[in-house]
Amino acid sequence: MTQPLLKVDDLSKSFGGLAVISEVSFEVPAGGRLALIGPNGAGKTTMFNLLTGVYRQDVGTVTLDGEVIDAYPSRARIGLGMARSFQNIRLMPHLSVVENVMLGQQSRARGWRDFVAPVSAFGRSAAYREAEDLLASMNIETRPGDVVATLPYGIRKKIEVVRALAAKPKLLLLDEPAAGLNAVETASLRDFLLQISETGVTLLVVEHDMSLVRSLCTSTVVLNFGRKIYDGPVSKVHEDPQVLEAYLGPRHAGEKEAAHV
Amino acid sequence: MSGYWIGLITILSINVIFAYGIFLAVATGQLNLGGAGFQALGAYAAAYLAMEMDQPLFVTIASGMIVAGVIGFAISFPILRLKGVYLVLGTFAFAEVVAGLILNSDALGGATGLPVPTFIDWDVPAIAAVIVAVGVFWLMSTRFGLVVRSVHDDEVVADLMGVNVRMVRVCAFALGAALAGLSGALYAHAYSFVEIQVFNASLSIYVLLYVLLGGAQTAWGPLFGAAFFTLLPEALRDTLPALKEAVFGALGIEGAATPPDESWRFVILGVATVLMMIFRPEGLITRTMVERLRPLNRAPRAARAEAAE
Amino acid sequence: MLLLQQIANGLMLGSVYVTVAVAFTLTISILNFLNFTIPTLFMLAGMVGWSLAFWGLPFGISGPLPWPLALAGGVVVAIVASLIVERFTFRYLKTRYGDSTEHAIPLVSSLGFLLILENLVRIEHGSDAQRFPGPSADLTLSLAGIHLRVPQVVSLAVVVLLVLGLVWMMKSSRIGRMLRAIAENPDAAGILGIETRRVVPVVFMLTGMLCGLAGALFAVNYGEVSPQMGEDIGSKAIAGMVVGGLGSLWGAVAGGVIIGLIEMMTIHWAGADTVQATVWGALLITLLIRPQGLFGHHAIGKGKL
Repeated sequence: MTQPLLKVDDLSKSFGGLAVISEVSFEVPAGGRLALIGPNGAGKTTMFNLLTGVYRQDVGTVTLDGEVIDAYPSRARIGLGMARSFQNIRLMPHLSVVENVMLGQQSRARGWRDFVAPVSAFGRSAAYREAEDLLASMNIETRPGDVVATLPYGIRKKIEVVRALAAKPKLLLLDEPAAGLNAVETASLRDFLLQISETGVTLLVVEHDMSLVRSLCTSTVVLNFGRKIYDGPVSKVHEDPQVLEAYLGPRHAGEKEAAHV
Repeated sequence: MSGYWIGLITILSINVIFAYGIFLAVATGQLNLGGAGFQALGAYAAAYLAMEMDQPLFVTIASGMIVAGVIGFAISFPILRLKGVYLVLGTFAFAEVVAGLILNSDALGGATGLPVPTFIDWDVPAIAAVIVAVGVFWLMSTRFGLVVRSVHDDEVVADLMGVNVRMVRVCAFALGAALAGLSGALYAHAYSFVEIQVFNASLSIYVLLYVLLGGAQTAWGPLFGAAFFTLLPEALRDTLPALKEAVFGALGIEGAATPPDESWRFVILGVATVLMMIFRPEGLITRTMVERLRPLNRAPRAARAEAAE
Repeated sequence: MLLLQQIANGLMLGSVYVTVAVAFTLTISILNFLNFTIPTLFMLAGMVGWSLAFWGLPFGISGPLPWPLALAGGVVVAIVASLIVERFTFRYLKTRYGDSTEHAIPLVSSLGFLLILENLVRIEHGSDAQRFPGPSADLTLSLAGIHLRVPQVVSLAVVVLLVLGLVWMMKSSRIGRMLRAIAENPDAAGILGIETRRVVPVVFMLTGMLCGLAGALFAVNYGEVSPQMGEDIGSKAIAGMVVGGLGSLWGAVAGGVIIGLIEMMTIHWAGADTVQATVWGALLITLLIRPQGLFGHHAIGKGKL
């Protein structure tokens, strides 16, 4: 087997004595689509924040594409090939769609020349055209000049993913991409994410919607109270007694398949 | 051109440059309530070089800008560690300390002030204002402007996108300080005299209000805010006595309708501030508004939410 | 001996600063709101008090009022003005985008009110200082060779009582507990059934009362009021609050006294012109070295609202 793109080794993090992540290890193969699931408060978003450097782990190492990235500050990590989206949409509300996407290119800006390069619509600069093309290739149904605050939720969700893509990442971390979307929008999002995956980008997805997880991801890691309780193919996750116990409580474990897991 | 218009264009140009200086800090989300301090630094640097060292105009004005910019840069490292209310207080305190130090400096004339020998007409401030305005518009359309606006909106995400948030804030703050210093240097030469009482706390408040009421999202905002509130008293000079007379006449009060003093202008600025914060806290000119007016964007939109900005 | 006298004067001066600093710190700690109208309310109480004592009620309803009644009127006007400020600054605050200047909306509104109130007073009464017809300021009390003016001693006593009352109120009364809950977490307070809309005005009432009383005490002590009297006091009170620590009542007390002492020491050794630099310097240095001040909580005033 080839070297995994992301390798998490024995990661632990506690806040004020409360362990949020305990000794978690897993791997994401290059080009793979892995879902990180678990009940509320299991530590999924914390895991993302550790990976992207918003928090620093107490113990453990994170390896991206063969390089240990623990020493990099949060703002440098996107340049290593790891971009993310957020649980609640965190686009810049006062920037236009295309400007948000251009912000995603930021990690590729080098030197002062890039900083004074025009990015406006009038100049039709290289950055602007690149962002426009990316939006067009992802079939975003909006005008590039629209200010984000005025757009519908489902479109903003996609734009946030495109912004992350603009960094040309190898690994895309998506925090509950389907939260707040209806069934039609979710299906559209799944096709959108599969399209991204086909371009060779590896996906690591935190998601509650199990139907999306089943149709999108190939393998899954389940967290509960900060510990890994399952690591394997998505198709087998509902048979695992520990997972059932985590979602349904001990009494229901093994009774029947959890329909909503 | 008559003296009236010369005076008006001069003060308008100075206020526009000053407002852009504060705008650069506010655009990154840092409320700079120390504008008067930076303007005083620029004004006194120019005045001192012109008076004591006989330097030519170009040198004094450039020095005013550089002195304020360098001090702004130096102070920005500790001061931008502060956030929210603390930052507002810190910048405010900085301006007061500058004023206090100048007041006690014999070399700078203390409480009596410094005369400035080289006089400039309205043209120098006006040209400077145009250059600064064009420069800020250009800057806001570059990648630097893009990250400035991102840092204002969400610094955590900007950081994760690879933006060096601290560096952006320091640069914008220092550049803004330099512009405030430039406005001060122009002031010194245009009025041929500097005294520290002019650079008081109220001045810092006014200029911040120009920026916030005009709108800090685009470079149009401070231009509009500064112009509006500089020209407002001139407009009021005629309309207010008429209005007063009408009101008094309606109430049946016999009284001399005195021309409005400075105070009315500030009452109106205050009322405008309170109303704007209620109805349009992001300032008069917003990004959305500029986008709507832009011809490129004036086509039917398929996927527009009816949600307002 | 002269130094001791200066220290005594500093303490007396500090007591006025303390009252205003407590008003500042109250709104910051409970609402995370730096209320710039506070110095104006202080001035308003003094000027309205003078106007009532000198001219009497408006529209010729009455002639000049006796000074205690006039000052009471000034305090009432300050409270009413403070409630008006609440109506227009805090009530409409909504978080829309959560960007970094949004928390400053009430602060900017309060700057607007500062301009409105101060300039309205100027338009009505002019910018000149006015002599307040209070009790004689010459009554002095000698204690171990230090001369204390009686109105000052009375002010000091009033301030001490005010602060003790306020501390008790915040700690033990029902309204105090509600206010502390709001300070802790406004959303959670709402869930617990505290009606923020009804409780928040209490903060502004207290603010108006504190500033009004401080203005009244100032008028009696110095026998002089002016539309500018708030600026100086306001800056000293802000400095006191920051030095003591934002959000701490006792910090504001200690800070106000410290600033009063710094001011007197500066005048004693360096002259009155240096006061601005030393007082604001103390504030700036505190902010840069220890932003939470002597007794403050680090969290207050930092994050977004």
